Amino acid sequence: MKLVALLEDFLYQSQHAPKKEELCLADWRILVNESEAVSLGIKDNSPGSVYTPPSYRQGESGEVFLVWADGKCSQAMVQLGSHDEREYWQQELEQWRQASYEDPDAAHIPSPEPLPLVAVEDQAIKRIITGDDQILFDQVRLWLTDKPVNAKLQGSIQTAWGHRHVRTSTGLAVTYQQSQFVAWFSFDSLIGGGFAKRRLSRPEEQEALWVRTLSFFEAMQTGAPPVGLQTQVILAPSMTEDMLGQFILPNFSGDRVLEGQGAFPKESFLENKLVFHPHFSLLIDPLRPLELGSYLITPEGVPANRTVLVRDGKLQTPFLRVKDSVRWGTKPTALPQGTAGLYLKHQAEVPWVKALQGVEDGVLVLSVLGLHTQEAVSGSYSLSAPHSLRIIKGQIVGKTDVKLTGNFFADLAAPTTKAAYSDLDPHPYLMITTGVQTL
Amino acid sequence: MEQKEIKELVHSILSETRVFDGYVIVRAQSRREWSMRISNGRFERVSTGADSGLGVQAFTKNGATGFATSDILAEGIGQKLVEKAIQLACRNEAIGTKLNLRIWNAPQVQAEETNPAQKVFGEIPLLELEEMVMTLHARLRDAFQEGVWQTSYRQVEEVWCIGRTDGTNVSFVIPRAVLMHQGTVRDQGKAQSTLIHRSGMDASVLFEELADHVLERKALDRAGFARAVCGAPQLPSGHYPLIIDYGLAKGLAHEAFGHAVESDHLNESVLGEAGKLRKGLRVARPGVNIIDGPLPGDWAYQPYSANGLLRQTVTIVQDGVLEAGLGDIFSAEEAGMPVTGAGRAESYGHIPLPRMSNIRLLVDRMLPLTPAGHLMDEVKAVRETLLQHGELIEGEKNLLLLGYRGGQVNPKTGDFVFQCDGIIDVADSDLPIYQPSIFSGKILSALEAIRGGLGEGCYDAIGTCGKGGQSVASSGGSHRYLLMDADQQVSLGGEHG
Repeated sequence: MKLVALLEDFLYQSQHAPKKEELCLADWRILVNESEAVSLGIKDNSPGSVYTPPSYRQGESGEVFLVWADGKCSQAMVQLGSHDEREYWQQELEQWRQASYEDPDAAHIPSPEPLPLVAVEDQAIKRIITGDDQILFDQVRLWLTDKPVNAKLQGSIQTAWGHRHVRTSTGLAVTYQQSQFVAWFSFDSLIGGGFAKRRLSRPEEQEALWVRTLSFFEAMQTGAPPVGLQTQVILAPSMTEDMLGQFILPNFSGDRVLEGQGAFPKESFLENKLVFHPHFSLLIDPLRPLELGSYLITPEGVPANRTVLVRDGKLQTPFLRVKDSVRWGTKPTALPQGTAGLYLKHQAEVPWVKALQGVEDGVLVLSVLGLHTQEAVSGSYSLSAPHSLRIIKGQIVGKTDVKLTGNFFADLAAPTTKAAYSDLDPHPYLMITTGVQTL
Repeated sequence: MEQKEIKELVHSILSETRVFDGYVIVRAQSRREWSMRISNGRFERVSTGADSGLGVQAFTKNGATGFATSDILAEGIGQKLVEKAIQLACRNEAIGTKLNLRIWNAPQVQAEETNPAQKVFGEIPLLELEEMVMTLHARLRDAFQEGVWQTSYRQVEEVWCIGRTDGTNVSFVIPRAVLMHQGTVRDQGKAQSTLIHRSGMDASVLFEELADHVLERKALDRAGFARAVCGAPQLPSGHYPLIIDYGLAKGLAHEAFGHAVESDHLNESVLGEAGKLRKGLRVARPGVNIIDGPLPGDWAYQPYSANGLLRQTVTIVQDGVLEAGLGDIFSAEEAGMPVTGAGRAESYGHIPLPRMSNIRLLVDRMLPLTPAGHLMDEVKAVRETLLQHGELIEGEKNLLLLGYRGGQVNPKTGDFVFQCDGIIDVADSDLPIYQPSIFSGKILSALEAIRGGLGEGCYDAIGTCGKGGQSVASSGGSHRYLLMDADQQVSLGGEHG
């Protein structure tokens, strides 16, 4: 029996015909993910090495959230495992009851609402999972054939496909299929490129990503003049994404704002305080077709919608799960999946190729060491960025090692900050004026 | 599923693979976890969970590998996984993978370790645990009302069994528990957070904390320090004599040296040459030692590798000279080092990689330091001890880096960065506090700069190692403080110098 069906039946019985009075449920919610995944990696130019072999994974697990008759809540991770006996689940129910706690704001299960139409499944990925997986082996072979002669290639391709089930005591019963494709490679573990969406990458996307990464790697082989005090810093799209993950996500999480643990107090959201430059907006958009951060419904049963967190530089709302929304006094918002689904927009974005031509004295930062160690609440950073690329008069001229010191909130507030986009990336290049010096 | 049942299951799955002319490793794991979080006096989450499954790694007779996993612990599923893993191994051989036959050389091991926990999982009811954690949280809030506090408690029990074609069957239990306080303080319009923890194997950590309140005192001290950091100035960037606490020293040893001697990394490590460990290389002054190995009762304790080999304690650096690496069965020989049972995996669903357990950095030249009850008293004691031994240079900053916020290293280039909670100049009798700034440089220069230790060894700095996208418990430490000379290749960030 499927885990979701088993749980749905069991929790329904526990709500309407409980075996014991104290185990009576008032409401419940179930999330179950059934997934199968196939992956293959490359380590030190070896495809499918002993550390990165072709792999198959299958799982069926999820979580339950329970509201008991006395209003207390419980939550637990669940797995089908070998437990299909009712007796096992009855024991689990007793343990969940033991783990119950009072949280009136959380004891709320949303009623069903119409779902949006969002494409989150690529049938081509399902075919890979069901056995037609030659494409993975071919891709790995192609990378190894095309790589720079002296470079050590590392890489990985992962495909996943499965069902997501959400059930609630309020009548929601949603099951849909979703897929995922993630591929990345790097040369000498220094310069890399990656692709992550709910669909396979197209040949032209693979080609463009490979060409760009190769050009960066080639530029890295040449030394370049050191940076100066006036050198403009350009964060590559993957760096912008990392900065958003480190400094923006935690400070826009509703629970942290409500608990006074974020950079911006609740009042600043309510007053729509201007915190970034008016050119910047920040939104969560789970409705974009086949993007990694797209979904139909949240794990709590809230249909996907688009949520603006910052409009024209002004705070609008943090992202709110059901409990946070009750405390905030509004409806739940869209939720990011990590940084996937989170988009930073600048009103005057230009194509990267054009922006690059205008850079007289710059440094392109592809990665930094230690970003995760930075204080998220303050927004301040002090980072080393070995293996950055020097830009002089619109040309990438070679490698340089730099150290960055600044504040990401100040960067987003500065009138001098600009953004540029590339079709390969969901996040922009960010061109900032910040503390930079030779490492 | 209990330890004995899992052991029998693994044996049973392997007994059906006798007709296969390759090699099979079966890993089974059953995991239970209870966790809770209290925020500002209210439970935000109490969660229970169990997770179990099987991972099968198959090798063709020529040494190509395939891997298959499922979250169902059952014999029928095990057989299907064996078939799938063999099929993938054959596909892998066809694409010209690098063959690896080392597993055939692994010694056969039979072991069934008893659970080392003093209080086994579930012995203390969840409700009682909740009450204890709430009591500790409430005391902390009362004592420091200006802060926003979160208290978390997590206890985990992992039952592992690893079986191999050669008849190896190793089973063991890893219990783990941690209590954490996270505080956010604000001053002068700025915010700082602080995170401290107390770890062990089981709920004993809560009983100990209720008895001695050691973590609470640390939390209060650290919150006070964080508040002072809010309004503190930044240091000019530069090269300074440094004193780092044992959390940072663990970070340095783990990120900078431990990873650089793992046998799968020697092709891309500053401590490797042509893929081999640079054994005999002088990397530090005489008297500096780096040791890795499991410690009973420790957060990162694991007695056997995920390939079923005994985990050994390894002296990586002895008296300043690189002596050994952390080798697993698959890459140790190629890396020029012995197999030390270093393979660890996050779960049954992951491929084991060579990695650390508890790593400690120790020096022979140790100055005595009596631990003080409060942070700033201890900082004063550090200053007095250094003055007494002529270790402070007149007119020069001597910076004490407090608190480990994490770090990152590129083992290929030897570049490292670490972040701390804040900095104190102990050369100045006013003990001025500065904003945290990044501690970065070249790992070999950092090790060469170590000139002594201050206080006895502390090895309970815990963390989670993220190598290879897996999350595995790690720990370690050093003397209470390590003394480092100024070095042109090791710098503190901050404002432009």
